[in-house]
Parts: sequence; structure tokens; C-alpha cells
Amino acid sequence: MAEYCPDPGGRQKGVTIIKPIVYGNIARYFGKKREEDGHTHQWTVYIKPFRNEDMSAYVKKVHFKLHESYTNPNRVITKPPYEVTETGWGEFEVIIKLYFNDPSERPVTIYHLLKLFQSETDIMLGKKSLVAEFYDELIFQDPSAMLQQLLTAPRPLTMGVYKHETDFEEKKKRTMSNLTGAKNKLQIEIGELNDRLKQTREAITKFKEEIIKLEGGEDIIDT
Amino acid sequence: MAAVGDVRDILELESNSQEFITKDAIFNDLKKKSKPKKTDVNFKKPEGMHRELWGLLWTDNKDAPPIIPTDTNQGYKQMKAKIGQSRVRPWKWMPFTNPARKDGAIFYHWRRAADEDKDYPFARFNKTVDVPVYSDLEYQQHLHDESWTRQETDHLFDLCKRFGLRFVIIQDRYDKTNFPNRSIEDLKERYYNICNILVKVRAPLGTDPKIRVFDADHERRRKEQLNKLFNRTAEQVEEEEYLISELKKIELRKKEREKKTQDLQKLITAADSNMEARRSERKATKKKLLIPHKISEKNITPESTSIKFPDIRQSGVSLRSQRMKLPASVGQKKTKAIEQVLEELGLELNPIPTDDIVSMFNELRQDVVLLYELKLALANCEYELQTLRHRFETLAPGRMPELGISGSILDGSGSSRTNTESPTTKLSEAIDVVSAPSTPTNTGIIGIQKKRKAAIEQTNLLKKLKQKT
Repeated sequence: MAEYCPDPGGRQKGVTIIKPIVYGNIARYFGKKREEDGHTHQWTVYIKPFRNEDMSAYVKKVHFKLHESYTNPNRVITKPPYEVTETGWGEFEVIIKLYFNDPSERPVTIYHLLKLFQSETDIMLGKKSLVAEFYDELIFQDPSAMLQQLLTAPRPLTMGVYKHETDFEEKKKRTMSNLTGAKNKLQIEIGELNDRLKQTREAITKFKEEIIKLEGGEDIIDT
Repeated sequence: MAAVGDVRDILELESNSQEFITKDAIFNDLKKKSKPKKTDVNFKKPEGMHRELWGLLWTDNKDAPPIIPTDTNQGYKQMKAKIGQSRVRPWKWMPFTNPARKDGAIFYHWRRAADEDKDYPFARFNKTVDVPVYSDLEYQQHLHDESWTRQETDHLFDLCKRFGLRFVIIQDRYDKTNFPNRSIEDLKERYYNICNILVKVRAPLGTDPKIRVFDADHERRRKEQLNKLFNRTAEQVEEEEYLISELKKIELRKKEREKKTQDLQKLITAADSNMEARRSERKATKKKLLIPHKISEKNITPESTSIKFPDIRQSGVSLRSQRMKLPASVGQKKTKAIEQVLEELGLELNPIPTDDIVSMFNELRQDVVLLYELKLALANCEYELQTLRHRFETLAPGRMPELGISGSILDGSGSSRTNTESPTTKLSEAIDVVSAPSTPTNTGIIGIQKKRKAAIEQTNLLKKLKQKT
């Protein structure tokens, strides 16, 4: 990393830059419990850009905080790939902290529950490694001029094909259509309930009127 | 100082101090003593010392804290008068006349020699009232009154003069053998009427005479009221307090009810606007099927009262997924309801956070809360309906069909009824409306009877209150 620390410049009001990211872990079962320490899995926790671009342009370092039972649980990675590979026997929450090249930006914290176990037998047998990764988006609201420049001139991370384990585009589409469907369903029900509520209210007023008539002008209906 | 004065006195030396001690002299003396001291700005609180400790050491007079305990004469005891600083003023046994007495009687008393020629000091309290005097002509022209004779009026004015308008005494000394027994108010009314008439008549043209207002009726009512208040028995006082507290309760309940109706109306309006939005959305989607999310952006329900998601517009970096976090203001019940419905819909609790999905998901959850609130309101309304229905049936048995209320509404099992008709399960079924007694069918009857009883009691109370006033 260069040692220079230029003036980041004032915030560019109204500028919003979105950087999609993918974070999570992969895990592979040994197939058996390791004799010497009881570990059962090898895993890698990582954070990477969703698109093919070099995150180190704007990310200064990534801090992975592992479970305290690990020797030096604070792992700091300064250049891609931002990942930590370890072996272990249990799941725990990894705290991932992203620091940016602009010192005025506060770090972003992501919590990821390290996943090792899955019920599917083929993973248990160590044939296929398990993937638990998530999509999220970094929103840079009003970045400084310097950071904006760093964000908008990305270098590709690799010349080859850049792919993720999970098909996020498909997932987005599916989620969207699910949501739309659910919303329609909900709104139909809201309409039904609303109508019913109105009818009930009308019935209530009718009853009240009748009871007032029957009770000879008493003006207290208290329920 | 006193000692010096005494010695000077004994030696009969000319003292330059004042001849007589006065209050001012004493206090001035004390004030001179406490000269304003220079504030020592250099003395500061040492770092790390507690404020409370510093407050004890750093006194108001800005002295540096003393190292050894000292006894200053400052504090609460400083107001002690110092006596014997100056010469004694002589007293003298002397005669005096009280100007209040017309017989010129002479009495004797002790008095300071210096005050010998002054007037009797209490003479200034001898005030007399000017009672107007009317002539025969004035009486005949202006002051004639049907219920008052000239003799009685004269008698009243005589007494007024004698007792300086002390009407209680006037009423006591009133000549009740020759004149009718009159109340204080009657006397006052007659007196002030005459005064006012005389002032009006005698006022020179063009000037505004000063009128004394005396509202005799008001006074009579006031005294009557006081009498009543005074003559109440303990039981009556108790009952009144009870009635007042009950009235307050009734008013409180009324307010609550009004608020409930308002909330309900709000809810219905929210649901209505939701339906409106949906309708327009549908029309729009028919035209442009490809971009449904953009339309949904436009149609964000104007005032969704349910959840207020934080609008993160702050500068800085944030995660998109943070924007679909439920705010802490959403209660546990609602959160649970949201989870239940999402599960029922087969949706993830944390969907993939893109811009569109987050806003859609947030809207969806707002709808869920709306649904939840609607269900809650419906449950409450149905309960109320059942209560009213029971009441109606006891009042007019068998007349239910005349009202023309559909049976499905009266059943009170609204949501389950629709459930049996449509094969798909209702989302609202997933919501437990725990807080409301939604089914009054079995357990509710006792509650209804209780409420009815309470209502009847309340009517009786109100009747009583009306009688009182």
C-alpha cells in the first residue's frame, strides 16, 4: 500500500455509488474427525466483489474476527483475495469489518454465521463443499472526491471469467416475483378484511341505534 | 467594639459613634466587615479531583481551602444583633389624648422622651366612613321605594353612620320591632342603591359618576350555596365525591372510545388507500408489463402508519441490507406476526438485498402490519358486535331479522368462514391476535354480562348526577 494520504476533498453531495458484494464461506468435510485436534472441516470465509473488479482500489483492509478459541482471532487482510482459511469443528459468527481508503469513512461491519453442517448427505461425505454466501450492496452516500474517483475507475480482478457459486441474478428474479405474488395475495386479503370490518362497523352502529331506541333514549352504549 | 464604646461611656469621653442604636446601624456594621475579597483566579481544581470534593473545599468566598480547621464568624449566626453599643434612650411617663375620643379624656403611658410632642401613634387607625346625607327633596324625587319607608331608610343610614358600614352589626342592631326583619343583603342593597342614585344625581353634567356595584341576588345565592355546602352530612359529602370520581371515569372511557373509533377510521382509510394503489398499479402494469417495480415506487402508500423504516440519507458507507432491518419501534407482537405471515407466504426473512427488493420487501411488511392491525380491529369489532347483539336480544327478543344484518357478519367467525369457502389458507390465519378476545361465543358471555351490568350501573349513575345538578 502506498504511504501517501492525500486530502480526500469535500463530500460530493447527491452522489451515490453502489458496490455489490458477496460474502460468506465455503466448507469441506474431512470425512472424519481429525485425531490430533478434533477438527472436522476446512473452511474459507471471504468477501469479494460481485462484479469483476479490484476492491483494493477503495478497500484499505478487511478485518476478520474469528472465534476466540483460535490463535490470534483477528486476521487482517490488506489485498485481495480477502479471505481466511482455517480448520475447525464448530459454527460461530464471523465479524467482517471493511476499512476504506478514505480515512473519513467509518468501517462497515458484516456479521456472517460460519456454516459447516448441512443435512444433505453428499456434503457430509466430503464429496462437495458447502457454500453459504450472501449478496449485499455497499452504498456510498456522498463520497469524497477522492473516494469517488477510486470507486469509479475499477480495474478487473481477473482476466478470466468471473463467476460466483450462487446464481444471484436468478435469485434476484425469483425473489422479486415471489414478493410481487405475495404482495398481491396480501392486498386481496387486506381488501377482504377491510370490507368485513366496514360491514361489522355498520352492523354495530345499527345495533346501537336500535338499542338506543329500545332503551328509550339512553345515550350510553358502552362496550 | 462594644467594649470600646462602654469604656468611652464610663470615662465620659466624646464618642464619635452614633447617639442611638438603630437597626440600620447594626446591619451596616456587619456589612462593612465582609468586604468583597479578591477572587483568586489562579487557584484551580486539581485534575482528577471529584467535583463534590472540590465543592466542599472551594467555598463561596473563593478562599483557598484551609489546612487546619478554622472557625469563622461567617455563616448562619451572623445576624445576631449587637446590643449595648450606644447610649440608652430615656423613657418618660407622660399624658396623652386619643383623637378618636371626643370627650378629650387624658391617659398616661410610657413613651420615649424624644417622642414627647408627637401625636398618639394609634390615632391614624381611627378611620371614619363618609355616609352620604340626602335632603327631603332628594328623597322624594329619587329615593322613593315601595318596600322602604322614609323612617326605615333614615334608621338604616343612622346605623350605617354609627357602625361605619359594618353591616353585620347594623343588621344585629336593626330595629326589628318597628321595621321588618331584613337580611344583610337587603340592607346593603338599599344602602348602595341610594348611594349610587345620589352620586348620579349630584354629578355635574358631562362627568362620569363612579358607581359602586352591588349584586344583591348574586350575594344571596352565594350565601345560600355556602349554607348548603356547610350543612351537608358526611354521607352526602362521600356520595358526592364518589359521583364525581365516577363521572371522571365515564368521561375517560368516552374519550377512549372516541380515540378507538378514530384509530379504526384511520386504519380503514389506510386499507382503502392501499387498495387504490393496487388498482392503479394493475392498470399501469397492463400497459407496461416490463417494469413493474418502477410503478410500485411511484405508488408507495402515502402514509403507511405501520412501520417507519429509517430513511438512510446520511453521508457515508452503509450496507443495503441495513435498510430492511425492522426498526426497534416495532413491537414484539407485530414482529412475530410479520414472521408468521412471511413463513406462510414462503418468503425468506432476509431476502437478497437489491434496491428494488428492499423497497418491495419493506412495503410488503408494511402491508403485513396493516393486515395484522385490521385483523385486530376486526376481532375487537366482532366482540363489540356480539355484546350488542346479546343486549339487543334481551331487549327485543326475536326481532333480530328486522335489522337486515347479514348472518355471516353476525356469526363473528368471519375469517374462518371465508376460510372454508376458499381452498387457499388465509394469511391472516397465521396471525395470532392474542390481545383481543376474538371469540366471544363461549368464554365471552360472562364478560358480556359483566359489561352489561357495568353499563346499567353507569346509566343509573348518570341519572343521579343529572338529578344533582
